[in-house]
Order: sequence, then C-alpha cells, then structure tokens
Amino acid sequence: MKGVARIANCGAEAPRGLKPTLHALVMLAIVAPLAAQIKLPPFTRHTQPNGLTVLLAPRKDTPLVSFRALVRGGAEADPAELAGLTVVTAELLRRGTTTRTADQFAEQVDFLGATFTTAADESASLVSTEFLRKDTATALDLFADAILHPAFPEDEFKKALSQRIDAAKAAKDNPGRLNSLFFPVFYFGPNHPYGRPSDEISLAPIQRSNVIEQHRSLFVARNTTLIAVGDFDPPQLRALIGKTFASMPTGQPFAWTKGVADPKHSAARLLVVDKPDATQTYFIIAMPGIHRTHPDRVALWLINTLFGDRFTSMLNDELRVNSGLTYGAGSRVQTDRLTGAITINTFPQTQTTTQAIDLALDVLKRLTAKGIDTEQLSSSKAYVKGIYPTENLETSDQLAGVLSDLELYGLNRGEIDDLISRIDSVTLEQANTVARKYYRMENLQFCLTGQASKIKDSVSKYAKDMKVVSSSAPGIRIE
Amino acid sequence: MAMRLGALIPFFLVPATAQQLAISAHSLSNGMKVLIHEDHDIPNVAMYLFYKVGSRNERPGATGMSHFFEHMMFNGAKKYGPKQFDIQMEKNGGRNNAYTSRDITAYTDWFPTSSLELMFDLEADRIRDLAFDPKMIESERGVVYSERRNAIDNSNSGLLSEQLFATAYIAHPYQWPVVGWASDIEAWTIDDLKEHYRMGYAPNNCVLVLVGAVKEAEVLRLARKYLEPIPKQDPPPPVRTKEPPQLGERRVTLRRPDARAPLVYAAWHVPETRHADSLSLEVLSLVLSAGRSSRLHRRLVEKDQLALSVEASYQDGLDPSVFLINAQVRPGADPTAVEKALYDELDALGSSGLTGNELAKVRNQVLTSFYRQIRTIAGKANIIGQAEVFHGDYRKINSYAEDVQKISAADLQRVAKQYLTPTNRTVATLLPGREESR
Repeated sequence: MKGVARIANCGAEAPRGLKPTLHALVMLAIVAPLAAQIKLPPFTRHTQPNGLTVLLAPRKDTPLVSFRALVRGGAEADPAELAGLTVVTAELLRRGTTTRTADQFAEQVDFLGATFTTAADESASLVSTEFLRKDTATALDLFADAILHPAFPEDEFKKALSQRIDAAKAAKDNPGRLNSLFFPVFYFGPNHPYGRPSDEISLAPIQRSNVIEQHRSLFVARNTTLIAVGDFDPPQLRALIGKTFASMPTGQPFAWTKGVADPKHSAARLLVVDKPDATQTYFIIAMPGIHRTHPDRVALWLINTLFGDRFTSMLNDELRVNSGLTYGAGSRVQTDRLTGAITINTFPQTQTTTQAIDLALDVLKRLTAKGIDTEQLSSSKAYVKGIYPTENLETSDQLAGVLSDLELYGLNRGEIDDLISRIDSVTLEQANTVARKYYRMENLQFCLTGQASKIKDSVSKYAKDMKVVSSSAPGIRIE
Repeated sequence: MAMRLGALIPFFLVPATAQQLAISAHSLSNGMKVLIHEDHDIPNVAMYLFYKVGSRNERPGATGMSHFFEHMMFNGAKKYGPKQFDIQMEKNGGRNNAYTSRDITAYTDWFPTSSLELMFDLEADRIRDLAFDPKMIESERGVVYSERRNAIDNSNSGLLSEQLFATAYIAHPYQWPVVGWASDIEAWTIDDLKEHYRMGYAPNNCVLVLVGAVKEAEVLRLARKYLEPIPKQDPPPPVRTKEPPQLGERRVTLRRPDARAPLVYAAWHVPETRHADSLSLEVLSLVLSAGRSSRLHRRLVEKDQLALSVEASYQDGLDPSVFLINAQVRPGADPTAVEKALYDELDALGSSGLTGNELAKVRNQVLTSFYRQIRTIAGKANIIGQAEVFHGDYRKINSYAEDVQKISAADLQRVAKQYLTPTNRTVATLLPGREESR
C-alpha cells in the first residue's frame, strides 16, 4: 500500500475501539449537491416517558438499517482498580439474556446476516447493529433483549473475562500496539480516568456482581440515547421503539467525574518499553491538546492537517518522502470529554531512532517558529471540506456516529450546518495563534517501544526523567 | 418506494432481489476499458485504475517490484513533477491510496467532482511519462523497507503468512511476498523499474472505474481527451509456471521467543477465481467463520476455548489460489489441539454436510455483506473493478446474489471434501519461546 493519511494514526490508535479522530469528529453533515452546502440531514429527536432519548434519521440508499445505543460513562465509569469493567459489561450483553442463551443469540443475529458489536471508549459504551430493512422487527427485538434483559450467566461471564485477559496479553505481541497501550498510561497517569490500564491485572479481579451493578446503573433510560439511521418509516419505527423500550428503567444520567486535573508535565519525560525482538522503534511524542468542544477545535483541525494528518503533511513529507526513514509519520489531536494530547507518531528502524526523532522535533520547531502561510491554509481548508463527505456522510453507520458524537458532547446542529462557514472564517492570524499555542517544544513526553539495549543510551538526551520497562512484565504498568 | 399499504401488509417490505448497479462499459481505441456508475448521493468521485500486473509477474531477484513501482507512481512525471500528484490532489480536496496484490496493482483516488478533469490530467501524465529520479528511488526504497518491517518483520501474523505462502507454493510466483524479500528490496535497480513500467503499464492492461457524482458523457469526453492518445503496448507475458499438485502435507514452524500468543495458519490449494468452484469456496468460508454462530468460531473460540479468533477465507487469484484458515491461539493453549479441532470440523462438514438452516443463514449473510460493500462509492468502484479483472466480467456483481442462491448444500459439502484434504494442506505454526534443546 502507498499508505496515506490513515498512516498518520498508526501506533496511536485508541485501544478500545470507538474513538474518532479529530476529523471524524468535528463534523458532520450530509450531502447536498455541493460541499459548500453541507447540512445535517433531517432527523427527529424525542424523549420517551421513561427518559430515553431517540433519534431517527431515515435515508434510502441501501435497504439497510443501523441502530446504536449510546450509553454514557465509558472508561470514566470504571472503578479505578477494575479498569475494563465497562467494556466487559458491554461484551456480556450478547452472551445470554433471560430468554436466549449466548448460542441462540448468536444464531439469530447471524441468521439475519446482521452485524452486532459492543464497545466502550473513554466516555461511552456503544451497542450497534445493522440489518436488512425487512428484518427490522426481529433485529430490534434482539437489540433490545441484549440491552434490557442480559442474564450474565456465570459460565459466560468466566469465559468472556478469561478471553479478554488473554487478548490483553496477546495484544502485547505487536510493538506498535504495545506502544499505543503504554502511551495513555504514561501520559495521563493513574489519577486520570484515561491513564488507568485495562490489562490482565485490572481485569482479573472483576466479579459477576460488578458487571450486574455496572449494567444496572448505566443502562438506564436517562443515560441512554438510541439512534436509528437507514431505510425505515419514522412513525412506524418510533412506535415500535416506544413499545419495545417502554420497560427500560428511568435511572439517573451518569455523573461525569468532577475536578479531574489535566495532566501537567513540568519537564520532559521519556519511557522506553523494551521489546527485544522489534527491529523498529515505535514512538509517540506528546504535548497538551484540547477537549472535544474546545473553541479552538476548527483552527486546530486545519493546522494539524498540515502538520501531520495527510500525505503531504510536514511530518510525512520530511520523515517519509524526503528521507525515506519510515513508511509514514503523522500527528493526531485527541478529542474526548477531557483534555487530551496532541501526538506525533512514527516507526523508524532501530538504528535511525534518534535521527527520526530529531527530524520530527525539527519539523515541530519549524511550525512553532514559522507558522503557516496563506497558501497552506487554503489547501488545508479545501482538503478537509473535500474529504469530509466520504468519511462522514456516506453510510448510515457514519451518520449514526456523527449523531452520537453530537449527543454525547451536547453539541447542536450548528456544529454541522455551519461547518463550512466556520472553516472558511478561520484567518491566517487565528490559525497561527493556535499553532503557536499548542505546538510547543517544552516538556514533551516521549513514549517509545523498541530494543531498549540498542536505543536507551542515545535517546536519554531527550529527557532527564527516563524510565525503561519490560514488555514481558505483566500488564501495562510503569511503576 | 415506501408505499403505505396499511396494517395488513408486513411492516417492512422485502426486496425481491438484490439491488442492481447500472454500469456503462466502454473501450478506448488504445484498449483501455472504462466502467462508469453514476451515484449522486455525495458530491464526490471514486476513480480506480486496475493494472493487471502484480507479484505473479515478477522473477526471483526482483520480487516486490510491482509494489515498489506502485510507490514510484507518486514520485513525479513529466508535467507534474515530484510530490505534485499529492500536492495537487490534496489542495483540491482529494486524497488517494494504492494497493498491490499477487495479481493486480490498483490506484484509488477520491475527490470532489470539481476536480474530475485535474484527475484525468494527473493520471494520464504518470501513465504516459513517469519520471525515474534516482534520488526519489533511494528515498522510496527506504519507505518500502519500512513498510516491510512494519507489516512483516514486526508482525507475527505477517511473518507467518509469508512463511505459509513460501511453503505452500514451490513453483508458482505466488510463493514470494508482495512487498518482496528484504534482499531484493535492497537490490532493485532503476532498470528493473523501467522494465516493469514497460511490461505492466500499457493502457490496454488497465481497467478504469469511475463511481460517483459524474455524468457518463463527461467522463468519456475526458477519457478520450487524456487517456486515449496513450499508445497501446504489449501486455505482460503470460505466467507460464503452473504449481504442480501437492502430494503430501507440508509444515513450517516459526519460533518467536518474545511472543505470547501462538498462531496456526493453514492453506489448501484451490482453483482460480474464474473456476466454477470459486463461489462455493467463498460461501464455504462464511459457513466456517462468519459470525459467532459459525462452525469454527463456535468450536474453537466458544466451546473448546482454544483460540481468540479464527478466520477462513477464499483468496481471489488469476491463477490457482489458496483457501486459508487462520487461528489466533490463546496464550498458553496447545496449537496441536487447535489443529485437531479444526480438522474435526472440516471432516464433519465433509461427511455430514450442512445442517438445519445453515444454508439459508449464509445466503442472508452474503446478501447483507454485499450491501455493506456497495454503501460507499469507494466500495462500489473496488468491486466493479475486481469483478472485471478476476472474473473477466464486471456484470458478475449484478448476478452475484442470484449466483449465491444457486449454490446448494451439496456443492459446499463437495468442495470441502474435494479440496480441504490433509494431502493438499500446508500448515504454518508460530510458537512462543525457544526451541527445547535435545
């Protein structure tokens, strides 16, 4: 593969699945004949008597319907010592209900040719299914059964937990993945909800009773938004959902963690995760960023596109195209409820580790010192507007993702309807102010996975505070 | 659609057959095939170019050349110099990628309709007048080597797949990795590149697919203006070597001291895509591993709890190909037990065939997965082009759902019995830890 912009995220993927990148987030809109007329498609939003919020967006390109339940909490709802509980709870929904065994549930989903997935990220659990329009009644019944009536059978609980523990161990076999698992633990630290490792150590003590309690408190009507996008008749579907979910307990919305301090790094720090069989060094260099609804988000999106989120970006141009040091280099702006990081990431071969890090720092320095020019800004604007529809507006799934994002962060339709004008209105001066504000050389946080014996001396120049940990030790632990 | 028919009619109407894609086909006078499907849902276009050249057209010493060439296609031509392909595309709201397989090299462009003419100009420039700048070649060699390190040398699954193909094929070029052996990556020359360009990049060796917010007449006008003047050339010479029949099981073991999870990958020789059995083999792969109720998932992941995941697949090929089963074994579990359970399941399928509603289930899975592929302009462009290249007829995608309905339980049982035999299989195992000393 040639590689391209997607490569910009390698090594820094969100470990838990559902996380959109900045450009998967800032947007939304659907099609109109011209990109310049991007508007949110028609949809309805209503609240049922028990407090369940329902969004319905009909569209008819293929005879498929996409449902998802967005349940607030995510990793923030995990007790500190049981990180991963919310993910395990979501996984168990399909593994036996009061009227179906896990096998029967799987058989019925597959018989429809449907997809059924569960996940949880920093801020929410997500249950999604997609099926043919003709199967709407059956699919909704299965979907509701998993959400409303899971039985959490003891044997399925034990099996799912042990599988997840083994998957956590196996994930460490891949050095890029390993680095992306260590990064949030290193950057956010144990006192932050994003910094608690969900690993074999935190998963092992989870009890079935923890899962039952987690489901009882989170999967309630006032904490859930149901989103349907696809080929259906809205009044009919609304009536069907109303009936099916009438029994969902009202409950309370999840209380977001208050007073979480943003990570403050008063000095550069460096972590080396030793992976003796790696022949490349996977590295992430991080600095403080923004939260999802921060007012700088559009300007930062435009700047980061130029810095590291497309093929001709400054980082990819230097580290790949000009020097051939790596298959791809990029940067990413994390956008969650709490302030995240801006990360530079790539993977040079072991022998050129410092050459690549030095070059990445040079590129950062250049952006900090010189900013961008008018031509670059206009290219970035054209790019984000041009690729926006294919990444966000084409499928029912994409649209459901955009609607969940708006719901989760309390954004209104202006986030989408005014997107083009907000992009166009960013001035060069504003863009450069934002560039100088976020892209900074001081107190950088370096997270590296590679052969420690070959790189630890040479990389010590980047930070006095340096630690080496072994990848063969249990869990994703730094202390 | 959506006529309101009242409460006596089932709530949601059933489509009688799968949705058909209206595709128009044209040939330019230089032999390039042009396939167009209009889709005005979003104001964007997917422009895919499929060159019928891949690693099967290579030779020892220059393995990986098709893939390296794929990278070089972005490094400058006569009108648009180094970097300009990407710079022009991105500043006009487009982006691109490309991929190489054993059989083809595909270039994939996505852009707003307003950039349509620019894209024809860019593509024509590099097909006609690619530049070979020695500096760009050296830098790109480093990039490709990094890609190999990332996808193979630092990936247990990549390493094991490479070993599997190198063992399953002893004669045919499918034996070497698409990215190329490391020694060849180090040794490619500018002359290898030029030779590959002459061999593979004839307009008559290319299928152009456009899907999106375009008008057929406008696409044809641009194709005639920019692409038709490029002269026809000889297509790549036929691949003469045929893989001889396998006469006994082959095995290969890979040791990775730092690994935690073992892997068990197996391959069986099966016919090429155009063969009548390929569709049955594809459907068989779904019976084995599509969804949590599939045979192998249920047995290996849920019942025996030996694997974290298992996947069966039929690999498309212009030449006789392979049927693969890949299992990620749980850390600490016994790979030989995984193999045994796997063969039990294949034997059961061969001897007893499908049971209950398995056939109906798999037909539904095929239909919905087809709809998922055609949800996007990119997905449509890809399957239209692949049908044209691998089946020799793009219209296959419109008969696909119907063709699948014609597959019987007996067909599936027969192909399982005929191809998935011990003699015909190659097994590659990745084991954690060091080999025990004697």
